[in-house]
Amino acid sequence: MNKKTLLAIALVAAVSMVGSASAADKIRLGTEGAYAPYNFVNDDGKLAGFEIELGDALCAAIKAECEWVVNEWDSIIPNLVAGNYDAIMAGMSITDERKKTITFSDEYMPVDPSMYIAAKGTELSFDSLEGKRIGVQGATIHAAFAEEKYGKTNTIKSYEKADQTLADLMAGNLDTVLADGDYLKPIVEGSAGEIAFVGPQETIGGGIGIGMRQDQTDLHEKMNAGLAALKKSGKVDELIAKYFDGKGPFYGE
Amino acid sequence: MTELLPQWLLSWLGEDWSAVLAYITNGKHLAWYASLQYTLIAAFVGAALALLFGLMGAAMKQARLAPLRWIGNGYTTLVRGVPDVLFLLFFPLAFEQAVEWAIAQAVCTPEQLATATGWPLCADAQWYLSHAAYMTMACVSFGLVYGAFAANVIHGALQAVPKGQLEAAQAFGLSQRQVFWRIQVRQMWVYALPGLSNVWMLLLKATSLLSLLQIEDIVVWADRLGAPNYLAMVGAVHGDWRWKYYLVLFLFYILMTLLSEKGFNWLQARASRGMARAN
Amino acid sequence: MDALLNNDIIQDIILLAKPALFNIYFALAAIPLGFPFAIILALGKNSKNSLLSHLSAAYVYAFRGSPLFIQFFMFYSIALVLNKPLWKPLGIDEFMLHPLFLGPLVLVLNTSAYAAEIFYGALRAIPKGEVEAARAMGMNKWHEFRTVTWPNMIRLAWPAYTNEVVFLFHATALVYFTLPVINDQKDLMNKAGELFEQDYNVFLHFSVAALYFLAISMVIFWVFNRIYQRLTQHLRQDAKKMAFKPNYLR
Repeated sequence: MNKKTLLAIALVAAVSMVGSASAADKIRLGTEGAYAPYNFVNDDGKLAGFEIELGDALCAAIKAECEWVVNEWDSIIPNLVAGNYDAIMAGMSITDERKKTITFSDEYMPVDPSMYIAAKGTELSFDSLEGKRIGVQGATIHAAFAEEKYGKTNTIKSYEKADQTLADLMAGNLDTVLADGDYLKPIVEGSAGEIAFVGPQETIGGGIGIGMRQDQTDLHEKMNAGLAALKKSGKVDELIAKYFDGKGPFYGE
Repeated sequence: MTELLPQWLLSWLGEDWSAVLAYITNGKHLAWYASLQYTLIAAFVGAALALLFGLMGAAMKQARLAPLRWIGNGYTTLVRGVPDVLFLLFFPLAFEQAVEWAIAQAVCTPEQLATATGWPLCADAQWYLSHAAYMTMACVSFGLVYGAFAANVIHGALQAVPKGQLEAAQAFGLSQRQVFWRIQVRQMWVYALPGLSNVWMLLLKATSLLSLLQIEDIVVWADRLGAPNYLAMVGAVHGDWRWKYYLVLFLFYILMTLLSEKGFNWLQARASRGMARAN
Repeated sequence: MDALLNNDIIQDIILLAKPALFNIYFALAAIPLGFPFAIILALGKNSKNSLLSHLSAAYVYAFRGSPLFIQFFMFYSIALVLNKPLWKPLGIDEFMLHPLFLGPLVLVLNTSAYAAEIFYGALRAIPKGEVEAARAMGMNKWHEFRTVTWPNMIRLAWPAYTNEVVFLFHATALVYFTLPVINDQKDLMNKAGELFEQDYNVFLHFSVAALYFLAISMVIFWVFNRIYQRLTQHLRQDAKKMAFKPNYLR
């Protein structure tokens, strides 16, 4: 490399770092933007959903300036650890496995059973499932669960986005999909009878919390304080009821 | 958007087509159209950088100093010997880590550096990347990869410049450097253009990979638009429409190729003016 | 021995060996179909029948003029839409949507366009004299094709076709960026990315993946060069040796 290249690279680095230094006190919230009603991009092309509204309220409560960063699900934890953003609000269940790499705030949504869906009229015997195609989103608790419970005698297909599992299920390329019950409920209701719940409910993982790097103790405390205030004021319950069709209240007095 | 249109136009379109028009001009679609800027920026800035790196690489390949030649040849062979997507992904990650390593040397305590197991080396050695930074790195990535291709083309074109012209320039008392920049480089374009047009086509098609470099480009938005939706609160409820949007992208790139071809034909015609022709 | 096995690079080479097989599989599955299809397209484009030549030319243009990345997405989503009306009734839905089938299929569609352009160029470069001689001898069309057109075309196109095969191999890196992953079927890029996300050692994992791509590219060049030597045996004196990466443009 000659001097010019080095200079150009140094310049790029310098400019970007100045940009980041001035925004150091900003909290960056990472989300997926493809998991309605938790977080999604609406028809106006804007980020919206339960966690987006909750995150904004939380930032207002702790008087911080926040910025949303959309990141693909399968690299959402690595990119948090690598520091592309400071916290994850993306419908992420609190699990021991994830706690090895990151830490979680208190939950802002209680644990909810995971469920199976299938095209209407599909008969599946979950006690002896064999040779079936099970769709999951990659890097989720459901992917790990399905792999362990059904992986030996069935085909587990993992997709980058949750909605891809729905597309493949509707097209008949999957026999069943395992996902969060709260994610699936509006889909079953909105599918005009095309999709139905099947099989058992599985309780996997914990409630949903904010994921953060393990060394961010300050942020951790701040977020928990903010969440506690929002739970107390009834804001969390209000938002849950708004986005999840009358669920709750969970955190009210 | 449709509310901006006159009533007569809407009634002429009829209800169905007005609805379609309203749908394809909603915010999400406008964001899709707007994201085209990233594809174009990456293509043009990437091409400019590729030309720069290509010239440097070609100059090194014909350098007198053996180590420079090795670097030049090593660069072109290595980058072209692996899939473009591998190097495109590698460069931004490696560059980010290099910067964070440099920050770490400055801000982390020695104990932190000694005990660091993961990445970053300490909490303060964090380089936040803005969208502009990702975009810049993507452009440099494209420049580096396609610069290697361009280097080979330019190297070949430099060799194609008639030796007599260079010797004549030397005889006029021009220095080695002057002969290179003023004669050889200026004369080589006409020989390099067909090859460079080929490199441009490769680069143009590679801009479809921007989504892998954290850029919300036309592919990301096409995917969002086509994804099935069953929730009214998200927007229009529809099944899997991805194929429609990818078909549009497929046609869009063919159109871009067609336009590029026309552009390069025009350039070639201009560059060939005054050149001796065989036919 | 243990120290050797604990070496990071050796570890990665072992970890990435199985994923490399997937890339090799994709390329190996695409070549035998892509080659004849490309020849047919090239002959079609060169045909005197204007409908046939226009159709072939349009196909070649479309697939060379658009990114493979988009082609993967597009064909997967189209294959998905056709699943119920077409694949299911035909009973071929199981493999039509399987990445191990659809991946090579899209690669075939793509590489045959590039290769067709190479063969088409070779067809047009066949020495006129040889064709005229064949005609003067009263050969019929098929005989002429077999003894003059075919050997000349292959010999002229071979170096460029070798390049195309290497490019095809590189293109296999895109398969799992676009198609769903089934069980633990992962390719080099997939696995390298996964390893990177565990320890952020981008230099190690990506370099080893690059090493695999480079090494396998070399093997392809070696094999195709051997074939080239055989093809040009009768021209021993002026047959040029193929260099590693002669004209590396797609």
